[in-house]
Parts: sequence; structure tokens; C-alpha cells
Amino acid sequence: MEEVESKPVKRRTKDLNLWEKIYIPEIIKGLALTFRNIFRPKFTMEYPEVKFEPPASYRGRPVLVQEESGVERCVACGLCSRVCPALAIEVQAAETELEKERFPEKFEINMIRCIFCGFCEEVCPEEAIVMSKDYELAFFNREDALYGKDKLLVPASELEDRIKFLRQYK
Amino acid sequence: MALKTEEMVLNMGPQHPSTHGVLRLELQLEGEIIKDVIPHIGYLHRCFEKHSEAMTYPQVIPYTDRMDYLASMYNEFGYALAMERLMGIEVPERVEYIRVIMGELQRIASHLVALGTYGADIGAFTPFLFCFRDRERILHLFEITCGARLLYNYIWIGGLSNDLHPDFIRLTKEFIKDFKPNLKELNDLLSFNAIFIERTADVGILPLETAINYGVTGPNLRASGMKWDLRKDDPYSVYNKFDYEIPVGSGEKGKIGDCWDRYFIRVREMEESLKIIEQAIEQIPDGDVKSAIPKRVKPPEGQIYTRVENPRGELGYFIISDGSLNPSRVKVRAPSFVTMQVFPELCKGFMVADVVAILGSIDIVLGEIDR
Ligand code: SF4
Ligand code: SF4
Repeated sequence: MEEVESKPVKRRTKDLNLWEKIYIPEIIKGLALTFRNIFRPKFTMEYPEVKFEPPASYRGRPVLVQEESGVERCVACGLCSRVCPALAIEVQAAETELEKERFPEKFEINMIRCIFCGFCEEVCPEEAIVMSKDYELAFFNREDALYGKDKLLVPASELEDRIKFLRQYK
Repeated sequence: MALKTEEMVLNMGPQHPSTHGVLRLELQLEGEIIKDVIPHIGYLHRCFEKHSEAMTYPQVIPYTDRMDYLASMYNEFGYALAMERLMGIEVPERVEYIRVIMGELQRIASHLVALGTYGADIGAFTPFLFCFRDRERILHLFEITCGARLLYNYIWIGGLSNDLHPDFIRLTKEFIKDFKPNLKELNDLLSFNAIFIERTADVGILPLETAINYGVTGPNLRASGMKWDLRKDDPYSVYNKFDYEIPVGSGEKGKIGDCWDRYFIRVREMEESLKIIEQAIEQIPDGDVKSAIPKRVKPPEGQIYTRVENPRGELGYFIISDGSLNPSRVKVRAPSFVTMQVFPELCKGFMVADVVAILGSIDIVLGEIDR
């Protein structure tokens, strides 16, 4: 191996005097600032006790909008599953007697795959899939991370401000 | 006569708090002096480039976010710019202004992480918390605008995903007002602290010639004394409409291009970014941010290389299109990756404790190195 010259360990051009060497003024300067901050307002949030309330623009977990009648808005067109960059959505369509004619027999989002990009919401022609404010997503096994219709359906009344935001800004 | 000593190999990382991610450094030591450093990268490899070949062009955007996760806005910015040039899309003025504001806010946020964690690496924990407090406000600005704190998916090809939040301008102005005294506080607490200077000045000197030979860009190059900033030297978007300086390293506390210079250049860049944001907020025109977004992104056959000045240096996108809906190739020139190569040169001859100081000062993001 080539020889590496070691740099001189002593690097200062000017030697420090004793007062500077003990660094006390520097430490006092730092501590003064620390003490000043004791009386300033706190900027942390005591999380599980105090919950963070996200703004309407927040992109949390994608959910399906449930009408008052209890059925989902989705017409199973499959656009969201096609646009999803993470291939997280699986839709299986079936016929129905209702006015919308088609409904998703199976609608599953794999929350391990989802990257919260919001493309599904953007592309949906029916405003049937929206991003909720739900950010607490923890699973203990992989099966739990497959969200079926039972977990995805959320009443429209709970998603009002997101839908309002979408109409205004998107 | 010198004693004959044996060389020792010491592994630093991959799980080491001051490697800023998952990076393994193989240190070859003689006593405490570094003879050589071999960085082992790839722990965070997620096949971004290959994966994007299977995506349509707009679908690549959320993945560009995940490269340099501290500067996601800028990654999208670069990609969108490349695609717009490839497809010949004219973007409305308002979009350009918003992009610049977002980009500069992102630069401040990214530098705050760099400086805060650098202080923490060296032993100053308080500045770290202060930096994160200020960064939090920027993240909140991003959050009310696009709904995410880190991975925005905000800048789209030809436009933006949505317009600014009505409170955005007001909150940004408030942030700038509050941030200026905080920056001074950071200087008092960390930049001009004698202990900090002792640890960083004259350590890890990067001579200009070495920097150029290795292709180092961004703040690291400027700290070595070269005025090279793509915002001025290869202007894109509306950057040429603003009045701001490009700070360069001066060797104030030691030799030019040492760790302190690299640190301080970022502090000064934040000041310049504030200037840009202030001007942009004053001049921002009205308009529709979604008007130029193409219905179908299907660029003509061809290829393009576009570069932007990311907080870490020159971020380049080389995109080859075969005329279909999916890119044929997306190659990213990641500034951290290039900077990482010069790292062994910087460390040689210094002590083990200096490795941490040097690594923090070049401000790498492993997500971008490994992609
Ligand atoms: S948010 Fe993005 S990744 Fe998640 S399901 Fe929707 S399209 Fe797929
Ligand atoms: S895009 Fe909307 S309507 Fe179509 S399948 Fe998805 S959720 Fe249902």
C-alpha cells in the first residue's frame, strides 16, 4: 500500500492561552442560551396523549367513500389500480341491481405496498377513493396489512373536509 | 527509529449513528491515523432506475422523492424540468415561481438537517433540536400545501398537483421573520463556538483541484473556493429574475475547503435562499397551476440530460424515451454519490475521530447514493 503521510497533529498557528484552553467562556455562552430557552414556549407535542390533527390537505391512508345508504361510491372501473405506482390496489368488479350497475366485489389495498402518493384519488372519476387523515398505521403481521372493504369503507360525512379540499384545489 | 506497527482494519457502520444512514466504512488504521477508507455502499439500493422503466412517466415522480429524502421537492423539480424540456412544454409563470419557492424552502430544510446533525455528530446536541424546530415549520408549510411532510409528489410534469394553500404566503412570511434571528442564534451557538471550530477547522481539507477532478459539486465545491452554482451558471426556471449571491468558502477559520468552510457555506446559503423566497413571494403572479399538465405523457423519441442545483450539488436526470408511455432509461447523476468518492481522499492522514467530522461535513444522503 502506498505511504500516506500523516498530517501534523498540532494544527493551530496560534497557541491558546490557559483561559481559552479551559473553554469556560464558550460553555457559559452555550448554557446562557439554554437557560433563556427554559422560559420560551414549548415547541414539542406530547404525542400519544396529544394527537396531531392534520390539515385537510393531508394524505393519510386511502379509504373508500361510503354513501349514507351504506354502499360504496366506487363503480369498479379499475382506474385506480392501473395508476397505482406501487401496484397496491386490487379491484374485482361485479354487476349490481343498483343505478351504478357495477360495484367492487373485492377491493383490497395492500398497505405494505402503498406509498401514499395520492394518484388513486386524483384519477378516480367518482370521488370514491380519497386520502384520509389516518396516519396511525401499524401492523403486527402481513395479513393485517391487507385492507379489504371492511376496513376501507368510511362514511362520507367523516371525509367532508377532504372532499371539499379536492373540489377546491384539485 | 520508528516502531514497526501493524495495520488495523476497523469497520464503522452500517449501523452507526454518525454515518447518516446505512453506510459501512472500512477504516485502515495505523494507530489512530487513517491510512485509507473504503466505503461500502448499496445497503439502501431500491432499484430506482430499473423500476422506473416499468412505470409510466408521471408514476416515476413519487419514486424520485425517495432518492434524496431530505430534498424531495428538488428531485421532483429536476425530473419535471427534464420531462418538460423533452416534450417541449411551456409552464405557466406561477408554477415556476411556486417551484422556486418550494425548492428554496427545501434547500433551507435540507441544510438545517445537515447542520443540526453535524453539530450532533461533533457533540453539540442543542443546535440539533433548534434546527429541527425550524425545519418543522417548513415541513408544515409543505404539509398544508400538498399533504405530505417528506415525500411530496407535488411537482408534476407540466405543473403542480394543486395550488398553494391560502395561508401559505402569510405563514412563509412569518417563518422568514422568525427564522432570521434563529439563524443568528445558530451562529452564536455553533458556528463560532471555539470547541466546534477546533474540531472542524483545518480538518478534511478538500483542495479545489481534487474537488474538480472528482466532480464534486454543490456546497462542497463552493467551500473549496469555486463559484459554481447551476442556478447562476446554467439558469433554469425563473432563477435569473432574482438578486442573490453565491457564497464561496474563504478559509476564515483554517485552510480553504476545510470542514468548517463546508459547514459555514450552508449557513450562508440559507440566508441567500431566504432572499430568493422573499423576492419570489413579492413577485408571484396569478395563474392556473394545472393548465399545462398533459393528459397523456407520451414524449417523442429522444433523450435529454437536465441538471439542477439540488441542496447537495448537481442533480442530473438522463432520460431516454422510445416514444412509448414508459421511459426506456432513467439515469440519475446523484450529487452525494459523486461526493462520496472523494471521501477517502479527505480522510487520509487524519484521526479516527475526524472521520465523523468529515463525513458530516460533506452532507451525504444514503438514499441518493444507493438509489
Ligand atoms: S396512494 Fe398511491 S400507492 Fe397508495 S393506493 Fe393510492 S395510488 Fe396506490
Ligand atoms: S378509480 Fe374510483 S371508481 Fe374506479 S375502481 Fe378506483 S375507487 Fe372505484
